[in-house]
Amino acid sequence: MAILEVDNLKAYYVTQTFGRSSTVRAVDGVSFHVNKNEIYGIAGESGCGKSTLLKAISGLVKPPLQILGGEIRYNFADQQLNILDLKDEKQRRRLRGARISLIPQGSMSVLNPVRRIKKSFEDVIYAHLDVSEGEFEELVKNHLEALGLDWTVMHTYPHQLSGGMRQRVTIALSTILRPEIIFADEPTTALDVVVQRGVIQLIKKIKEEQQNTLILVTHDMSVHATLCDRLAVMYAGEIVEEGDVKSLFGSPKHPYTSMLLSSLPKIGDKSARVSAPGAPPSLANPPAGCRFHPRCPYAVDRCRQETPALRQLNETHRVACFLQEAGSMELQGRAANEQ
Amino acid sequence: MLKKYYIPRLIQYFTVLFIGVTLVFVIPRLLPSNPVEHQLSRMMAQGQYLDPSAIQAIRETLEQLYGLKGGIFEQYVDYFKRLFTGDLGPSFTQFPTPVTTLIRQSLPWTLGLLLASLSISWIVGTVLGGIRVSFPRSKLARLIELLIMGVRPIPYYIVALVLLILFAFLWPIFPMSGGYRMGVKPGFNLPFILDLLRHAFLPILSMVIIEIGGWFLQMRNVASNIVEEDYVVYAEASGLPKAKIIFMYIVRNAIIPQITGFALNIGFIFGGALITEIVFAYPGMGYLLYSAILAGDYNLIMGINIFSIVGVSTAMLIVDLIYPLLDPRVRYQ
Repeated sequence: MAILEVDNLKAYYVTQTFGRSSTVRAVDGVSFHVNKNEIYGIAGESGCGKSTLLKAISGLVKPPLQILGGEIRYNFADQQLNILDLKDEKQRRRLRGARISLIPQGSMSVLNPVRRIKKSFEDVIYAHLDVSEGEFEELVKNHLEALGLDWTVMHTYPHQLSGGMRQRVTIALSTILRPEIIFADEPTTALDVVVQRGVIQLIKKIKEEQQNTLILVTHDMSVHATLCDRLAVMYAGEIVEEGDVKSLFGSPKHPYTSMLLSSLPKIGDKSARVSAPGAPPSLANPPAGCRFHPRCPYAVDRCRQETPALRQLNETHRVACFLQEAGSMELQGRAANEQ
Repeated sequence: MLKKYYIPRLIQYFTVLFIGVTLVFVIPRLLPSNPVEHQLSRMMAQGQYLDPSAIQAIRETLEQLYGLKGGIFEQYVDYFKRLFTGDLGPSFTQFPTPVTTLIRQSLPWTLGLLLASLSISWIVGTVLGGIRVSFPRSKLARLIELLIMGVRPIPYYIVALVLLILFAFLWPIFPMSGGYRMGVKPGFNLPFILDLLRHAFLPILSMVIIEIGGWFLQMRNVASNIVEEDYVVYAEASGLPKAKIIFMYIVRNAIIPQITGFALNIGFIFGGALITEIVFAYPGMGYLLYSAILAGDYNLIMGINIFSIVGVSTAMLIVDLIYPLLDPRVRYQ
């Protein structure tokens, strides 16, 4: 059952400078659903709209970001709601942190530098629950213990903790209210690989224990390969391919996905890694037709004029590329030859 | 903490004081004019006849009084000895009134005037700056910002003079000048205090109008950076109440540099507010310094400078000492 359904979502950054408005189409017509209890990955280069998508889904929309269309439906066990219909900030606030929660990037300043960790926990818990001090301590103690953290971290300030420790504490804080959906926004960025592994395992452990749904956003394909059930690949504000991890990693259908995957190191493969040439386009003025065509080695005239729709290939796999359409056998042949 | 944080700062404090006070000693002695000869020639110019032995006697007495007797090192030691006994020497122009007496007469006026204007402008500027950032879409907050930014570039003396013309001359509800009305007996009684407030109102208002801008801008700029910080975004993502985010995440963190600025400005009070005191003929330290400079009253200039040096460096020391209470990141370095 889908716990989150996003339908044709359009989230643009609209800015006005001296009367001239400019629009950055960070998320442009994105549709997908996330099943209950699964780990759904969203991959893509920097600046492809991943973080904006997260902001929109979690109801953290502030100017200049605007939602210009689409629907975001949450199907909780006891309640169904479209977050875009919630006009009242209070209702959205009650949702955030309690039912849907965010694990932010592992950066230096996710926790207030002049507040003790315990205060940060109090802020979050008392914002959603009406508990006594004893209940608060029990709740936090149990949670920390389950995550293998010590109660003494509660008395420290963020700057006294190492980067990895701080990220663990942040994860503990994000999951203390047992949210039904967890959004993890590049949770392992800015951490060294050893710590990354620990953080990934921690997230996995919490997910298994709390039985919640996890949406994982990162550009790191190896993290997706380790964790996710299904994966969506975003390019220039659109989803270009989506599928379960096995089939997507096994036989990528979109040239962009192949590019991302061919940059990954593989055990036993000693050939030089190929990186994707070029850079993602400006979202203020995306190229016509398929947005990937300027970087695509297989682009034909049709790609420059028409925009490919995200088509269902089989039950689990969707792709937005003319290459995969019936009648483009010629194209596929060329692609196969070049490979 | 004590060894690593407080002791170095105390050492720094006393070093700054020592260097400052030494500079106050050295600089007047680098001037080509000699105050003793200056005084003597003034006496001669008045047409008095003095025989050479009397001149010599007067010269010696004056050198003694001005601390100019003996070699430079002897003078220096003597200078510090007198400083420690709280003796800053006599004023040249209001001879033989001691400099400390003159300063003691002026200091309360300046202190009252500047502490009041500093506190009011700090509080109003900080609160408005915080409101501006916390409610970015409020029309009223934007209007206030526009007003403050419009007033800020006006030169201070114009604001002061306009206030004086409007409220003391065209519509005379406030007095033109002075610290209190002639004939009112200074003391701790209601009529005097009311009179004091009436006289201080325009000078304080003029300073508040100009100073609010600086505090407002600093608060707005610091706070608007903090709003973008990850921990504020994360707090919003965690569903914290808006009031909590504003007070405990944005304002609480943005106020640290404001407090530093406030404490530093307290130190500058001892220099007085020259233009305010001249425009409103207010009997404060700035006016005292101004007349001392005009009259070449070295002892008085030195005395006021020493007060300023002690004031500013003590304020900085206090800032350093309270900083760990405000910012835990300093506490554990």
